[in-house]
Amino acid sequence: MAARSYSRLRSLGASLRLAVLSFLADPQWLIPSMIAPVIFGLVSYMLFQGTSPTLVLYAILGAGMMSMWGQTLYGSGWATGQDRNLGTLEPTLSAPTPYLYVVLGRVIWNTVSGLLGGAIVFAVVGIAYGRPLPLANPLEFVLLFIFVILSLAAVGIVFSAAYVYTRYAGFIQNIGEFAFYVGTGCMFPIVLLPFWSNPVSLLFPPTWALDALRILAIPGYHGLAWGFWGDLIGAVATTVAYLAIAGTVFSRVEKHVLEVGNLSDW
Amino acid sequence: MSPSAAIRTHGIRRSYAARKGFLFNEIVRTDALKGVDLEVNSGEIFGLLGPNGAGKTTLTKILSTLLLPTEGHAEVLGLDVVKDAPRLRPRIGLVLGGERGLYNRVSARENLRYFADLYGVPTAERAGRITEVLDRVGLTESADRRVEEFSRGMKQKLHIARGILHRPELLFLDEPTIGLDPKSARETRKLVRSLVADGVTIFLTTHYMFEAEELCQRIAVLTRGRIVANDTVQGLSRLVGGDRTLEVEGYGFDDAEVEVLRRLPGVSRLKYEEFGPRIRYTLRVRTSELTPPTVQASLPGHRELAIRERRTSLEDIYLDLVEEEAA
Repeated sequence: MAARSYSRLRSLGASLRLAVLSFLADPQWLIPSMIAPVIFGLVSYMLFQGTSPTLVLYAILGAGMMSMWGQTLYGSGWATGQDRNLGTLEPTLSAPTPYLYVVLGRVIWNTVSGLLGGAIVFAVVGIAYGRPLPLANPLEFVLLFIFVILSLAAVGIVFSAAYVYTRYAGFIQNIGEFAFYVGTGCMFPIVLLPFWSNPVSLLFPPTWALDALRILAIPGYHGLAWGFWGDLIGAVATTVAYLAIAGTVFSRVEKHVLEVGNLSDW
Repeated sequence: MSPSAAIRTHGIRRSYAARKGFLFNEIVRTDALKGVDLEVNSGEIFGLLGPNGAGKTTLTKILSTLLLPTEGHAEVLGLDVVKDAPRLRPRIGLVLGGERGLYNRVSARENLRYFADLYGVPTAERAGRITEVLDRVGLTESADRRVEEFSRGMKQKLHIARGILHRPELLFLDEPTIGLDPKSARETRKLVRSLVADGVTIFLTTHYMFEAEELCQRIAVLTRGRIVANDTVQGLSRLVGGDRTLEVEGYGFDDAEVEVLRRLPGVSRLKYEEFGPRIRYTLRVRTSELTPPTVQASLPGHRELAIRERRTSLEDIYLDLVEEEAA
């Protein structure tokens, strides 16, 4: 048992190391990790600069979330898509380690670089604003911010399974990207969306986590009906649910692709 | 399963389903394997030959746990390839080869390090093993170069290095010398022999007949999803009618003369080919008594005959078997 856990941890470490090396070796990653957050931050600031600091902060949190989505969630799925394109999915799946641990290693790296993206947004807006954005509870905010990233990573793991399942997962994720921005309240409150879509929004951990972040950071912000603690419980519950289903989804998807035989399709 | 069998399959079938049509509502099934029974002995180099699309890669993937059979049963190293896949994977190696299958942005050494960790190569041995396999495939000098800078042959060598990194007991090699220059191909064959000397069983698929003939103790011919022959090269030559071949070339043979050739003592198979106006009859011969002069003497009307005698090659055997199955 201990040997198996060690072996899986090693695989996770190897995957993390390869993700970092691939990131450093590939200049195209500068766009989602460094340039996109700057653009998201500046555009949001310029759109709301004449309004109250509260509204600016609201928009900036959404912008930070969008850049983190790109890096954490999209990156996790995309890396598995790359395994398909490179033809490395077959040799990786033929190794003794469950593929889930390879994905987890990548997700850790994408989480770190997602944090970097979020931090860049705040730094850029802070510079444009002339001083640091006024956060009501900075320490709690940072802790929750890290949790938000983890909640994105949990969704990212499930998305990765889609890339193992089919070579068309990229299309689905590209289409879903803007729906996710809107549906989770990155751009504007979900209460502005049609009522029927609200339960769908609540299936995603970032909806809860982002609302909790805003309650914490913006004085006078009320958010969803159940308040900060309700948001937090919802965020933790949905994140745990995503992590739990990720393991099951991965083992089923692995079995499915071995049945269908589409591992080398790209 | 005999105690020395490394691989044993029984009735392996595999079909692929593809969705077609405007709404993808039409399912087209293709049978890649139609009941494969096979036994590979421990410590041998077993060759699997077959034309493109015969099912070689499908069978290799099933045996290496990358694909589930639709029907049938397969055991590798005494383990069921479906139920015991997690226990089997650390004990086998797979080399699929080709341009793809490697992380191009990082070095060969980093590729190997990654897979060493996935295969659980002990950390203390990892660096040494990587150096050793890079040396064995001749990539030491390029070890720290990015794989994207590699030629096809170098990538092929790296695939092999990855396949042997964790010291598997059984290695699946799917066309290992494809894309290699003659020198590298020869070195690869030497490496394969050295692996067998180390006790590794090799399951090799190839299109190069001389390679199979040079390396393999036993050879199976797979065509249209079925094993049509499985024996040593000598055994296979008996199957197609003899280890000697006589080629008789000339112009304007009539039916009676063809019948004379067919009825010559020891002739078991007669093939006909046209080269413009020139016609070649290829005779598989069982006995040593039938020689070019005796063939010439049996066709006194043909003074311009060109008759060549040679050993029946694996390529002859292969083509006979595949053509027979196609017919």
